[in-house]
Amino acid sequence: MIGNLLRLPAAASIISLFGVLCFYVVFGGVDLEKLGGAASWVNYAARIGIVALPVGLLMIAGEIDISIGAMIPAGAMTTAIITGHYELPMIFGILGALTVGVIVGLINGILAVRTTVPSLIITLGTLVGMQGVVLAGSKLLTGSASVPIQAPEWAKTLFGQLLFGGSHQVIIIWWVLFAILFWFILHKSIYGNWIFAIGGDRVSARNSGIPVDKMKVLLFVLTSTSAAFVGMCHATLFNSAQVSGGMNDIFNIIVSVVVGGVLLTGGFGSITGIFIGTITFAIVNKGIDFTAIDRNWSNLIIGMTLLMAVAMNEHFRKLALSMVSKKKTKVA
Amino acid sequence: MQTQSVSKGFSLGDLARRPETGSLIGFIAVYIFFASLGGAVFLGAPGWSSWLNIAAEVGIIALPVGLLMISGEFDLSVGSIVPASGMTLAMICGHFGMPAPVGIVAALGVGMLVGYFNGLIVTRTTIPSLIVTIGSMFAVMGLTLGFAVLIKGSTSVSYVPDATTKALLGQFINGMFNVAIFWWLGFVAVFFFLLQLSPFGNWVFAIGGDRESARNAGIPTDKVSISLFMMSGFCAAFVGVAQVMTYQTAQVAGGQSFIFNSIMCVVIGGVLLTGGAGSIIGIVLGTMTFAVVNQGIFFAALDPNIGSIIIGALLLFAVLSNDRFRTLAMNAATKKK
Repeated sequence: MIGNLLRLPAAASIISLFGVLCFYVVFGGVDLEKLGGAASWVNYAARIGIVALPVGLLMIAGEIDISIGAMIPAGAMTTAIITGHYELPMIFGILGALTVGVIVGLINGILAVRTTVPSLIITLGTLVGMQGVVLAGSKLLTGSASVPIQAPEWAKTLFGQLLFGGSHQVIIIWWVLFAILFWFILHKSIYGNWIFAIGGDRVSARNSGIPVDKMKVLLFVLTSTSAAFVGMCHATLFNSAQVSGGMNDIFNIIVSVVVGGVLLTGGFGSITGIFIGTITFAIVNKGIDFTAIDRNWSNLIIGMTLLMAVAMNEHFRKLALSMVSKKKTKVA
Repeated sequence: MQTQSVSKGFSLGDLARRPETGSLIGFIAVYIFFASLGGAVFLGAPGWSSWLNIAAEVGIIALPVGLLMISGEFDLSVGSIVPASGMTLAMICGHFGMPAPVGIVAALGVGMLVGYFNGLIVTRTTIPSLIVTIGSMFAVMGLTLGFAVLIKGSTSVSYVPDATTKALLGQFINGMFNVAIFWWLGFVAVFFFLLQLSPFGNWVFAIGGDRESARNAGIPTDKVSISLFMMSGFCAAFVGVAQVMTYQTAQVAGGQSFIFNSIMCVVIGGVLLTGGAGSIIGIVLGTMTFAVVNQGIFFAALDPNIGSIIIGALLLFAVLSNDRFRTLAMNAATKKK
């Protein structure tokens, strides 16, 4: 029974989460009830979690996307420029942000499938390029690097409201909805099988009739559109958009996905794992404020959590694989 | 096969297949573009010193990062080793008042230690180096910040070096050219020898091409990988030391830009990310191209943000043309067979 649990792709992330909580309770004297009721880490988890889900799918398919770091501000800026600066209806701002996401995703995806250049480098190019486009674009169109936006009531309710009059943001609900949606895609639909197959062995996947290239382009589009969506939500919530920010999100999102048990080399991972990995990361990063531990050590804890989680993942995966081959020999 | 003529000496095809060609064309094009916009100031000493100073800093790190990428590995931890080593130096010499050599050795030691740790984990496990070095990047960042606040109670430590050390590591010659430029040239010579002339270089290429075969051929692959990681740790630490010597203060943050900048220099310089191809001259040209765009934008009186668009476009252009060149080179090689 325990063996079966350990072989789940999410096992390491559950242990990591538990370990971090124990560490914070024992060494930081944290009040779990207070931590559970706090909004800061949940809001943060939702922000990176919405992007972490498609990034995780992309990594399971054996690719990576770091242009997300530019897409979060790009989404925010597009919404703010269209709705805030030009005072067009909010719907155009939303559609504009998502369209920018789709376009960048298409560029990433098409370059990734048409060439042999690794997606890390392609998306590094679009990352730097988009940063310039967003900065120069906003300077050119509005003359400033920060644009105010006053979203209408319905948009506030949908994307930028605080829940129950408290400090939880409505983006948390979007995150949970996206998680359920992606769970169905990855674990219940045929597309999920395709994604695992592509990450496991691209050539075999293509030979067995899976539209590998289309799938990959679609995943790149999903990723940058999700990032633009998060940016749009933030612009709506905070009534303004800044061009900077987002660079830290790149590493934070990748760390969340990897702590969640997704293999960078593809073919292995789960939505439950990514979800718990994101929570773990958010608790390490924001929960440290509820402990007696100095906030300055949080990066050290993140680094250690990441290395321990991947080490555990590797161990559990070996367990899982050895179990499979043992069963096979018994049958034979 | 008989139609294939074996050309000796100079041939345009051979030239086009050299890994540096693309980066040389890129550099010339970019330089002419900014020279025409920037005018005499950019062509004169102020222009040269401004982009060479940038090139030297990122270039010293780009060299070992390039070697690592040729061998098929990444190192993102350089971004936190730069401030960590600077902080070590400023803490030992500035805060505790020890002599400069002690601080320098300790700072370089910190870099090599992180590199050794990276190399050890990468070679002992199957965890990709990208993830390992993201982990050590976070850990070193946390340690730097944590200790700085614990010991000094602040995130920046100042240190005034004595005249000799300053002259060696952080002086501006003529008030413009940072002495780091000469160190960069020194590092270029050393790495050129390592990669292009010594057997070590062949090992690096072999590991990047096919690690398994390289090991079977008797190459000590693990030792080579660990020493490459230690080199990038050392070079990043060196830049940290040089920065403190130049600016007389160490900050806990501020090395992040080196992570992607060094990778971009290397890739613009024609190194394949998948390992097994690249050259030192290419990396140097890539670094120079990057620095010219980075600084030329100020002389050209353009919006500085356009520089980042140009770099992004240049990067994509470089990788796509490398992709082409490599296909060309591979085709030529198989035909000869």
